[in-house]
This record gives sequence, structure tokens and C-alpha cells, in this order.
Amino acid sequence: METPFTSAAFKPDAAFASAAERFFELLKTVGMPSAAAAGAGRDWSSLAGPLAGQFEQWLKTSQSAGAWFAAANAASPGPAAGFGAAQAGFFGPLPLGAGAAPQQDAQRGWDLVARLAQLQGQLASHWSEIANTAARRFVARLGAAAGGAPTLDNALQLYELWVSCAEESYAATVRRDDFCRLQAELANTSAALLVEQRRHAETLVRAFGLPTRNEVDALYAQLKDLRRQLAELTDAPRTRRAGAQRPAARPAGNRPRKRTRKPRA
Amino acid sequence: MTPFATDAEALFPELARRIANTLARLRQARGVTVGCSAKRAVWNCGKTTLYQYLPLGEAPARAGARPVLICFALVNRPYVLDLQPDRSLVRRLLVAGLSLYLIDWGDPDDADRCLDLEDYIERHLGGCVRHILDSHAGEALDLLGVCQGGVLSLCYTALHRRRVANLVTLTTPVDFHTPDNLLSKWVRGLDTELLMRSGNVPGEVLNGLFLSLMPLRLTQHKYVRLLTGNCDQRAVEDFVRMERWIFDSPPQAAVALAQFLRWFYQENRLVRGTLRIGGRRVDLGEIRQPVLNLYALEDHIVPPAASAAMQRYLGSADYTGCGIDTGHIGMYVSRKAAHEIPARIISWLRDRQ
Repeated sequence: METPFTSAAFKPDAAFASAAERFFELLKTVGMPSAAAAGAGRDWSSLAGPLAGQFEQWLKTSQSAGAWFAAANAASPGPAAGFGAAQAGFFGPLPLGAGAAPQQDAQRGWDLVARLAQLQGQLASHWSEIANTAARRFVARLGAAAGGAPTLDNALQLYELWVSCAEESYAATVRRDDFCRLQAELANTSAALLVEQRRHAETLVRAFGLPTRNEVDALYAQLKDLRRQLAELTDAPRTRRAGAQRPAARPAGNRPRKRTRKPRA
Repeated sequence: MTPFATDAEALFPELARRIANTLARLRQARGVTVGCSAKRAVWNCGKTTLYQYLPLGEAPARAGARPVLICFALVNRPYVLDLQPDRSLVRRLLVAGLSLYLIDWGDPDDADRCLDLEDYIERHLGGCVRHILDSHAGEALDLLGVCQGGVLSLCYTALHRRRVANLVTLTTPVDFHTPDNLLSKWVRGLDTELLMRSGNVPGEVLNGLFLSLMPLRLTQHKYVRLLTGNCDQRAVEDFVRMERWIFDSPPQAAVALAQFLRWFYQENRLVRGTLRIGGRRVDLGEIRQPVLNLYALEDHIVPPAASAAMQRYLGSADYTGCGIDTGHIGMYVSRKAAHEIPARIISWLRDRQ
């Protein structure tokens, strides 16, 4: 049996507390529309601003909204630290005379950090658009939903409406080609930054006479090739036996083939 | 003046009480365990382990039944299929007397960053199949591929059709370019070469990607729903087991992930007939054995159209497609699916023994 809570990201009580707190904030912002206040034709538009502001802030700070790319943002550490610690400070000169990174290498890193910041600015404008659209949708649909008794269960129903409006607005934006292109560019820039950092690190380890990632990978590729050859040699008697038992047809999977270097992605 | 007569403050004591109760239940649920059926490791290759489930005492032994191999996705842990006794596909299959095996791909580390799809399909999946067939002195087994594992299973079956008698796929995408596939739209512009060079991708990143498909619903709403009056301790424990699985994603080998993104999501090679694994073309038309394809009608990760498209490309004359009215994860753990899916698989396999 495995036990939970082995992963640092797995903290349902903390996640619940945080979500409940935001729900509480939302209730404070919206209030509960009383039956008297929920008459037809009532104008709820003044709610849109605060709601949009809250949602936009959440989108900006949430790793979930663009977690694939958020790790590249040094200012927003979190569970999605996938593309590594893209710390701008990494691009200072390496502390070794002969192995010091050339100035143009450090510049490349800085350029990537700057580009990331620029792309994140563009992303922020999408969050703003999503938040405003969501708030307007919510306000437009509120008239029909408002008017119940101010109970917690009614408040939860109101929250359901808010989530639906927010997800619809989010989906409409994130499916657009310009958003998809931006996300891809963010991911690619993050990956480029990580590759750049690793190149710097390789310079450093080479200076210490340590094996580099590329060297280890080359060794691994050789080992893999040897394993493959061994497997083919091991499989050969099995194939011959199978062929002897089934003279009419050779299994498709055991067809001998000339090894060719396979293409990588 | 606000547009509402603000009665919300009257709700705060009740809200605070429910929050406190739910928090207490969540903390109490820390001790829950996952993975309920006994199994033993019987073969391994690198980080991949092949497990054999031990038969259940009450299960009727089925003489001569073909072994069934479950091939799960690389991007999640397979224990979701055996989360708890009343929500376990594995357990239901064992109760039916099936001889059951499961592939656990393990946690690739930096030594595995060059693992590619050929390794996974031919060496790891293929090695598991060979081991099982040797153990049972059989010529073919039944293969049950889940999600991305279904894609790997389709590739393997197309390349080694004599070794697979029946193929069952669960939430398996085939056409990656259906218009409703948001994940596909997002990764279309990724530079997979760069991604490959940047190293293995931690599980948290992929998990974040999946959550960001519907961020408010998947990271906020599901917790707030615990505040509804009907969440007792048992419901909270079920929830925690699920959460544990969601946040327990393995890292991904750089090369295999980059290949999967490029070949399947970007280039849609499986349906275009241009996919090659180990120098050999993967032709779905070569799959002539019976195929049962189960997919979720409300799936936000594998849209139903992406999976239902399978029928058009297979060479099988015995194809059964079935949409289940639930979501992606609901296919593994919802109460409805917990009964319907094993029942369908068992009866379909039984008819083809």
C-alpha cells in the first residue's frame, strides 16, 4: 500500500483553505442578492469591476493558468518549476578565469529573460480580457439567479454560476490562435533559457574536469545501442523457433531488419 | 450604495463552521491509502516494472483464459485503476477471474532522458508482453491500453499483431487534430527539439498543463464544493485519494515526451499513416483483431471525437465503440464508471475467448 502526502505539491487541506478563502472574498465582494434587491431590470454592473479585478489577480498569480510556462518566471516560484530555475542572476560571469562565460553568452541569457518578461506582459493582457468578460457574463446572468434566501447553499449556487461564466470566458480566449501562439512562444523561450543555463553549467563543470551532460548522454546512447544489439541476438533463437513452428507466416514483429539510425522527434 | 442588500455577513458564521469541519475532515483523511489489490513484481526493464495481480480468493479461476496486460499512460500513475476497493477496475477484473498484469513505467531520471518511444513500445511494453507470453506458454494476450497507454498499445498491436488477441482501449486519442482538442492547439507551436534539449519534464509541469485546461474548475471549484452539506468523512477520503493521484505525476523522459508531442499532437502521424517506430511504419489498418474502444463523452483531455475516430482507421471488422457519460477522470473512478466499464470489458472479452 502506498501512502499519500509523499509529494510536496499534494496538500489538499492547504489548497482547500486557500480556495475557501477566495470564496469568502468573493462573497464579501458580491454580497448576497436579497429577494428585494433582485427585481427585474436591476443594474448589477457596478459589481463587474471588483469581480474582474479579483479574478484577474488570481489568473496572474495562479500557476494553474499557464503552468506549462510559468516556471520560467523567476518571480513566481511554485509547483510548476518545470523549466527550472530561470534565475536572471545565473547569467553573471562564471567564477573561473579560463572557464568564464564569454560576455556574449551572458547577453544571450539576458535577452531571453527580457523576452520572457515581454511575453508575460502580453499574457497579462489576455488575463485582463478573460476577467472582464467573465465579470460581464456573470452580471448579465445574475438577474435570473438572484433573489433566493441568503443561505450558504444559495451562495454556493451563485458561486457555480460564477465558475461557469469564468470558465466560458477563459475557454473562449485560450482557444484563439493568438493566445496559442503566445503560449507556445512562452514555452519555447523558457526552454531556450533553460538550455542556455545548462550550457553555462557545462562550461563550469568542464573547467573542473567533470563529465558534462552531453558526454553522459553520448555514453548512454552507446549503452542503449549495445543493449539493442544484445536483445536482437537474444531474440534470434526465439524467432528461429517461432519460424520453425509456424512455417507459413513469420510474425510481423520479428522480421529481421537492418538497423538504421532512427530520427529523433 | 451597493446594488445588493448585503446579507452575506449573516452567512459567515455558517461558512466558518463548514470550513472548519471540512478542514478537520481533510486532515483526518491524511492517513488514507491507495492501491488496494495485492500484486507482485515479475519483470522489469530500467525503471519499468511489470506487476502481476494476485488472484482474489473469491474469484472463480478461469481455466485457459488469456492473460490481460494493462498498459497505462506515461504521464500518470496507474494506481488510479485500483484506488480503493469500491472504485477499482483492477478489482472488478480480478473478481471476474482474469489473470491480470500491469505496467508501471516508474520515474525516469536524467539517466533516462534519451529513452524514446521505440524504447517504451518495443523494449518495455514488448518486453512485458514477451515475459507474460513465456510465463503462460501462450501466443497472444489481451491488451488493455489506457489514455496515452492506449496509444502505445495501438502502436504495439499494429507492429506485433500476432501477440495481441483482443485490444481494449480506454480514453485513448487517435485523431489529435479534432477541433475541440485544446491541448493539441496549445502544443502545436512548441519547439520539440528545444524541449528535448532542455531535459526531462517534471510531472508537476504536465499536471499544471492539464489543470490549466479549466483552471478555476480544477483548482478552486472542486475544493469549494466540499462545503456543500453532503460531504461526510467518507466522501472527503475519496476526494483525498483522487487528489493524491492527480498531484502524483511522474517526470517525463525528454526524448519520448518530445516525440509524443511532435509525432502525435503536432503531426497527427497515427491517423496520417506516417508514424514509424524503430524504422517500421505503424499502420492502424494492420490491427485486425477485435477492438473495444471506451471513451468519455465529457472528456476535456481526450475529446470523444479524438477517440471515436479510431474506427475509421482500424482494419478490424470487430470494432465496438462506446461513449460513457462522464469525464476523463470519471472514467477511472466515478461510481457509474466503476460498474459500467468493468462489466463491459468483462463481457466483451468473455465473448471473444
